[in-house]
Amino acid sequence: MSGEDRFVLCMLAPALAILGLLVAYPVGLLVFDSFFKVDTITPHIREWIGLKNYIDALTSKRVAESAFRTIQYSIFALFFEFTFGFCAALLFTALPGKSRWHRTIFTLPLMVPPIVAGLLWRFLLVGNIGILNYGLVHLGVISDPDAIAWLSDEDIVIYSVSFADIWLTTSFVALVSYAGLTNIPKDLLEAARIDGANAFQRFWHVTLPLMRPVIAVVVIVRGVDAAKTFDLIWIQTQGGPNHASEVFSMNIYQRMMRFGDLGEASASGTLFLIVMMVLAAAAYWKIWRPVHA
Amino acid sequence: MRSARRFNLNGMVINAAALVLVLSYALPYVYLLMTSIKPAADVQQIPPSFFPVVISFENFRDVLQSSILPRAFASSLMVAVLTTILSLAVAVPAAYVATHYRRRITTLFLLFALVTRMVPSVSLGVPLFQLLKSLGLLDTVPGLVLAHTSAAVPLALLLMAAFFEGVPKDLEEAARMDGCTRFQAFLKVILPIMTGGIAVTALFTFITSWNEFLYALLLTSEATKTAPIVIAEYNSVYGLAWGAMTAAAVLYSLPVIIVTLALQKQIVGGLTFGAVKG
Repeated sequence: MSGEDRFVLCMLAPALAILGLLVAYPVGLLVFDSFFKVDTITPHIREWIGLKNYIDALTSKRVAESAFRTIQYSIFALFFEFTFGFCAALLFTALPGKSRWHRTIFTLPLMVPPIVAGLLWRFLLVGNIGILNYGLVHLGVISDPDAIAWLSDEDIVIYSVSFADIWLTTSFVALVSYAGLTNIPKDLLEAARIDGANAFQRFWHVTLPLMRPVIAVVVIVRGVDAAKTFDLIWIQTQGGPNHASEVFSMNIYQRMMRFGDLGEASASGTLFLIVMMVLAAAAYWKIWRPVHA
Repeated sequence: MRSARRFNLNGMVINAAALVLVLSYALPYVYLLMTSIKPAADVQQIPPSFFPVVISFENFRDVLQSSILPRAFASSLMVAVLTTILSLAVAVPAAYVATHYRRRITTLFLLFALVTRMVPSVSLGVPLFQLLKSLGLLDTVPGLVLAHTSAAVPLALLLMAAFFEGVPKDLEEAARMDGCTRFQAFLKVILPIMTGGIAVTALFTFITSWNEFLYALLLTSEATKTAPIVIAEYNSVYGLAWGAMTAAAVLYSLPVIIVTLALQKQIVGGLTFGAVKG
């Protein structure tokens, strides 16, 4: 081994050790435990049961429902975060003069801890004292402040809890998109203008294709984060009412902590991990690659 | 003349739209601030008012005088500081060789860090619970620091790698010519010019740990409960104590907001950098 190789290994070793101990080993343990029946509340039970945990997880109605809710939540949140954030970025680039102040204020939610965002939105939405409904009455959208029970109506709660997520992370999308937009060479847009392209055509044929890598990053990072969400929803509803806002990560947490069922929680955790990896890889190939091809 | 006028009109519309957008995003947090300085009894009045009629700091006094919240803040602070130190100590050297000494192992290593970002925290939390339990580290500061470090190291690695990419390789070669060893070149030449990037990364790591909720919920019970857990508990323990809760939330989020605003330029740069690279 050359001196250079030895240097590289020495510098890398502590980080390798930490990631090995705290990420690779636990993930291995997760997969291993998923083949056992384990009870953490009466800790003597630990027996090999093969794929039974996976079969149970895949056939459980509550697991399937929480998985479906995670998809609903992620798509809804991602759609609005992306739309608002991207529009904000376009607006900021179009602003005559500098948009520094706008961007500074707009980054505020980004610094708010998720738990505070969840709490705040619960406070804005909660029945009878939630100010949002009073605001809607003022604007004439609804007639009675009790008209919409955002957090206690089982049919809409999974969408209501995502408002906090949307509020919290639109600015992330906006900032990343803004950075991407300012990197687009001005002469390309100018050339398109001289060729007679109108604003929409310039956006569609020049801006959007060039923004593809940035969009890919935003969709992957935010999509993965939205699917992982736990704290924001937990503080708003703890998964209620009647499990109507219980997402997949919360379902795993419940089975682990409330029922002490480590084996089943591990099997679901493993499935979750696999799905996220596959989705992220697919998004990466689909959206990012065509630019480089 | 006509076109200049039209441009101004366009500009005004864009300005107004931007203003509405920005205000509507700031409003919820301003409402939180307003609520925290209302007397506790006014917080749940019907119909709610946006601005306080009477300004009172009794919510703040209540949470600061309770025995729980100051302890939780101390716990959060200790865990976040230790997590930041540990994460940077391992991530900075690794990110440096990963960007300046490219070879298969360093590429794989960065890829691994990237993939780690995709791991759902609950998937990692379940085995970490087992691991810390067998080590006797449940509900201890070292245990929580280890859990937070698992999430902080990949973040620190990707951010630092982005910063190191901007450092020319010649610097280090010049130092080697002057008789420095590789390690001395790193320590004496590279690190001093990276203080800005290291500071931003440290702040990010700190905030990540300070905000972390799920691991704290899984891995602590009484002794080391962190601030977000206590704030979440205002729900159940004190039965919807909204006044206290908003005050605690303001106290918990304000330091981060102030520091971030003060360092806004570097932070936003680092954040977008890290996101685009990551």
